[in-house]
Amino acid sequence: MKNTPLFRSFYLAVLLFTSTFVFTSCDSSDTEEPFSLSGKGVFIVNEGNFGTPNGSVSFYHKASSHFENDIFSKNNDDQLLGDVVQSMTLFEDHAYIVANNSNKIEVVEKQTFKSVGTIQGLKSPRYFAALNHNKGYVTEWVAFGGNGRVSVINLETNTVIKTIPVGAMPEQLILANGKLYVANSGGNTVSVINTATDVVENTFETPDSPSEFVQDKNNHIWVLCSGKVVYTDDWSAIDYTKTTPGALAKLNTTANAIETTYTFPSNQSIPKNLSVNGAGDKLYYTYLGKTYSQAVTATQLTSTVVLGRSFYGMEVDPETGNIYGSDNNNFSSDGTVFIYSPTGTKLQEFKAGIGPNGFVFN
Amino acid sequence: MLRDESIIVVANRILLFIVLAIVACPALAQQDTSHYQLQSVHVFGKPAEVYSAGSRVTTIDSAYLQTYTSSSLADALQARTPVYFKSYGVSGLSSVSFRGTNASQTAVLWNGLNIGLPTLGQSDFSTLPLSGFGDVSVQSGSAGATYGSGAIGGAVLLNSPTYTTKGFGLDLQQQFGAFEGNFTKSGLSCSDISSYFSNGRISYGNDKLQVGIGAYHKSAENDFMYKDLSRAGKPERTQDHAAQQQYGFTQDLTWQLTPGTKIGLHAWYTFTDRELQPAMGSASGAEQLDKNLRLLTQLQHDGNWGTTDVKLAYFKDFLNYTDDATNSVADVQTYQLQAEQTYTKGKNWSLRGGVNLQHFVAENDGYAQTEQENRAALFALFRYDPTQTIDLSLNLRQAFVTDYNPAPTPALGFNWKFYQQAQHQLFLKGNVSGSYRVPTLNDRFWVGAGNPTLKPEQGWSKEAGLRHLFIVGNTLLLETEATTYHMLVDDWIQWTEDETGRWRPINLQKVRAMGLELSQQLTATIGTLKLTGSAGYTYTSSEQVAVYEGQGDKGRQLMYVPRHKAVVATGLTYKNWQLHTDLNYTGLRYTTNSETRPLESFILINAALSKQLHLNQCKLILSLRTENITNTVYQTMAYRAMPPRGYTFSLRFIIP
Repeated sequence: MKNTPLFRSFYLAVLLFTSTFVFTSCDSSDTEEPFSLSGKGVFIVNEGNFGTPNGSVSFYHKASSHFENDIFSKNNDDQLLGDVVQSMTLFEDHAYIVANNSNKIEVVEKQTFKSVGTIQGLKSPRYFAALNHNKGYVTEWVAFGGNGRVSVINLETNTVIKTIPVGAMPEQLILANGKLYVANSGGNTVSVINTATDVVENTFETPDSPSEFVQDKNNHIWVLCSGKVVYTDDWSAIDYTKTTPGALAKLNTTANAIETTYTFPSNQSIPKNLSVNGAGDKLYYTYLGKTYSQAVTATQLTSTVVLGRSFYGMEVDPETGNIYGSDNNNFSSDGTVFIYSPTGTKLQEFKAGIGPNGFVFN
Repeated sequence: MLRDESIIVVANRILLFIVLAIVACPALAQQDTSHYQLQSVHVFGKPAEVYSAGSRVTTIDSAYLQTYTSSSLADALQARTPVYFKSYGVSGLSSVSFRGTNASQTAVLWNGLNIGLPTLGQSDFSTLPLSGFGDVSVQSGSAGATYGSGAIGGAVLLNSPTYTTKGFGLDLQQQFGAFEGNFTKSGLSCSDISSYFSNGRISYGNDKLQVGIGAYHKSAENDFMYKDLSRAGKPERTQDHAAQQQYGFTQDLTWQLTPGTKIGLHAWYTFTDRELQPAMGSASGAEQLDKNLRLLTQLQHDGNWGTTDVKLAYFKDFLNYTDDATNSVADVQTYQLQAEQTYTKGKNWSLRGGVNLQHFVAENDGYAQTEQENRAALFALFRYDPTQTIDLSLNLRQAFVTDYNPAPTPALGFNWKFYQQAQHQLFLKGNVSGSYRVPTLNDRFWVGAGNPTLKPEQGWSKEAGLRHLFIVGNTLLLETEATTYHMLVDDWIQWTEDETGRWRPINLQKVRAMGLELSQQLTATIGTLKLTGSAGYTYTSSEQVAVYEGQGDKGRQLMYVPRHKAVVATGLTYKNWQLHTDLNYTGLRYTTNSETRPLESFILINAALSKQLHLNQCKLILSLRTENITNTVYQTMAYRAMPPRGYTFSLRFIIP
C-alpha cells in the first residue's frame, strides 16, 4: 500500500465507491390478461385518501372469484378517477361514479368502464340516482355543516340543469312513486322532491341524522338514522347524556311521514350500512361492532347477530345473499374485502383499493 | 399581470438594488481595511457532535447555502442529503423522512434548542428559508440522549449565522425566477417572471461586539404548467392555486463582555402566507398562514469549573388554516431554558451536564381549553479519548413530562482510527442509542379524539461504519464512508378509526428500519481550479414487524420511504467563476403500506453558474440557476404536481 502510486489509490477509492451505484431495480410487472367486466360481478367502490385523487373501483367476478383493481385507470389511459370516490350507481348501460372532493361525477360504460363524460360544476357531491335515461339527481353537501342541495342532471348532455336547495348535508336519495326522497343527515328531516316539477313539495321529520335508504319487497322505504353526536360544553368529549342513539325507521310514502321508529339501545355506536337482501324481506346493518339482520316484518329491533364484526362498508348480494364487507385498514394500506356466506362463513378475502366503502352488484 | 406593470416591477427592483449598492460602496470603502483578515471562526460552545462519537453527521456546504439563499430547507436537504421529503406540492407542507421514520420522529434544533411544534410534533421545512441561518447539518439515527424527544430517526441542526467581520458589512441580493413553460413565444419577457426574492443583510463588528441583521422577502406565483392526470386526455394546465409569499428577518448579536464571558441574542421571524396546492383533480381553496417568532438569549462564561452555558428562549408559533368550511387557528407559545456546564480536562476527556426545561401554552380550535405542559430533562454527556486514535462518548438523558414517565435514553459511541499510513487513514466507528417521543398535544387533547393514555414511542438504533480518509497535502482530500444501521421503534403512534367510528391515535406497531449509507466527499485543488464533489447513496428498508390489527401489512416497505436514494454534487471554482451542480435520484416509493400505488423514481438535476466581479473592496456576484434541468415530471407526494424546468437570475452585492 505504501508504494501505491497516488493516482492508483485514488482511482481505486473512486471505483470502489462508484461501483456501489450500480444497483439494478427489479420491479416485477406482471403481465396481465385483459379482464372482462361482463357477467355477474361486484363493483367495489374504494374512496381513497382525502385530498388525494387515488379513489378507485375494483371488480369482483363472481363466477371465477377473480378480482381486478383500478378498473377505471386501466381502461382510461391511466387517468385518475378522483378524490374521495363516495359512491357509484348503475343505470342502464352506464355507471355514475361520484368523486366527492373532485366535485364531479365520472360517467363510464358499464361493460368497458371507458369514460363517456364528466358531470362538473358540483359542490361536494355524495350520491346519485337516475330517474330515466335523460334525468338524474345528485345530492351535494355544498359546504360541511351548511345547507346542501340536489342538482338535476341532464343525462344526455351530462350537465346540471337545475339545483334544488334541501336540508343540511344531504346523503342518500331514493326514487319511489314519482318522488325523490333525500336524507338530510345534518338535521332530522327528509325532503320530498316531485320528479315531474323538480321542486321540494314536502319535508317531514325523522329521527336525528337520516342517512341511508333501502326499499323492501312491500315497497316500504326504510331509513337508517345515525343519531346526533353532541359534545360537552367545553368540547372535551362526546356528551353521552345529549348524544342521541341511532334509529331504524319505516317511511310511509303515502302519508309522507315516518310510520314506525325502532331506536337503537345505545348511543355509543352509530348504526351503518343498511342493506336489503334480494328477496326484499331481510334488512342488514352494522352496529356496536357486529353485523345484524332482521325481517322486514319484525316489530322490534332484532338481536340476531349474523357476524361478530362490523365493517367500514357492507352490502348484501341480492342474488346469493352473501355478505360483502370491508376493512379500510386505516387508509394507510389497501383495504380488505371479505365475503361471507348468508350464515356467516367466510368465503374469501382479498385486497382492493384504498378505503373500500361500498359494493354495487351487477 | 400586465406586461407593462411587470416591466416596471422588475426595473424598480433592479434600480433600487443598484442605488443601494452605489450608495453603500464608497461609504464603506473609506473604512480602515487593514483589519480585513479573516478571524478564525469562534465556536460558540462545543458542537453537540463532540458527544456523538460514531454517529453520522452530514453538513451542507456553505457554498451551497450561499448560492441557494432563496430556497427552503426542504429543497436543500432533498437535493443534498439522503433525507426524503414529502412535499404537498410546491407551496405545501414539506415533511421529512429520516432513515425510514416519519416527520414527527425527526428533531429540529435551532441553536441547540428544539423548535418542533408540540401540537403537530413536527416542523414544516418549507417555511424554513435557507437565508435564516448560518449552517445546517443533519445527524442520522436515534439521538434522543443528546437532543431529547423526537430524535428517533435523526436530527436537523440549524445555527444562526456567525458574523466575523470588523467594521460594517453589507450583503444585498435581488433574484428573479421564471418557469420555462410559461415563456411567451417570442422568448423570455418580464411578464414571464413568476418569482421575486430580495435578501439583505447588514452587519457590524469590532473586538467585542458582532451584530447582524438580515431580512428577506419572497413572492412566488408558482403558476407553472403541468400535465393533469385527473382529466381525460391529460391536458396541460396552469397551476392556479399555489402562490406564496414569505418574508422574515434575523437579528443576531454577540457581545464579549469580558474575555471569559459572552452574551448572545438571536431573533428569527418567519412569515409564510400561501395557497395550498391541491392534488390534481382535487378541490382547491385551502390556504395557510404561518407566523413564527423565535427569540433566544445565551450567556456563556468560562470559569475554573469549565464553561457555563445558559440559553433562554421564547417561541411563538401561529398557524391559521382556512378552506371552504374550516377556519382553524393554532397558537403555541414555548418557553425554554437550557443550562449546561462543560468541564474539559486536558485533551482526554470532557463532561457536560445540564438541564432542559420547557413550558408550552397551546391554544388550538381543536382543543377544549388552553393546554399547558411542562417538560424537563436532565442530561450528562461524556467524551473520553483514551488514546489519540480512539474517541468514546457516553450520553444519558432522563426526561420528565407531565403525566408521563419516559424511560431513560442512553447512547454509547466510538470512533477508532485503526490504520494510518502515508496518505491513508481508516476509521471504524459505531454507536448504540436510545430515543423517545412524547405524544403530541394533538395526539392527546384533540376534542373527541385525543387519547391521554398514549405511551411515548421508544426507539433503539445501532449503527456501525467504516471511514477512509485519503489526503495529499493541501491538494486533495477524499473521504469515503460506509455505514449500516438497524433501528426499532416501539409503540409507534398512529391515528385509526375505533369501533364507534371515531378517529383516535393509538400505540400501534413495531417498526424496523434497516439500511446502508455510502458517501464520498472530494476536495481537490489543481492550480487555480478548485474542485469539490460529494456523492451519497442510501438503501432504506422500513417495515412493520409487529401489527396489532389483523389486517395490517407486515413485512412491507412503509409508504413514502424510497428504498434507494442517491445524491451527487459538484462544485468548481476557477478564477472568478463558480459552477455548482447537484443531482438527486429518488427511487420508487409506495403510497400505501401495502407496497401498492407506487410513485415512479426520478432524477432531478440543478445547476448554478456564478461570476464574481470586484469593485474596490466590494463584490458583485451574478448568478444564473436552472432547476430541474431535464424537465423531469415527478411527484414526492401522490399527485401533487411539481415544477418543471425553471430559471433564476440573481444579482448579489457584498461589502466585506
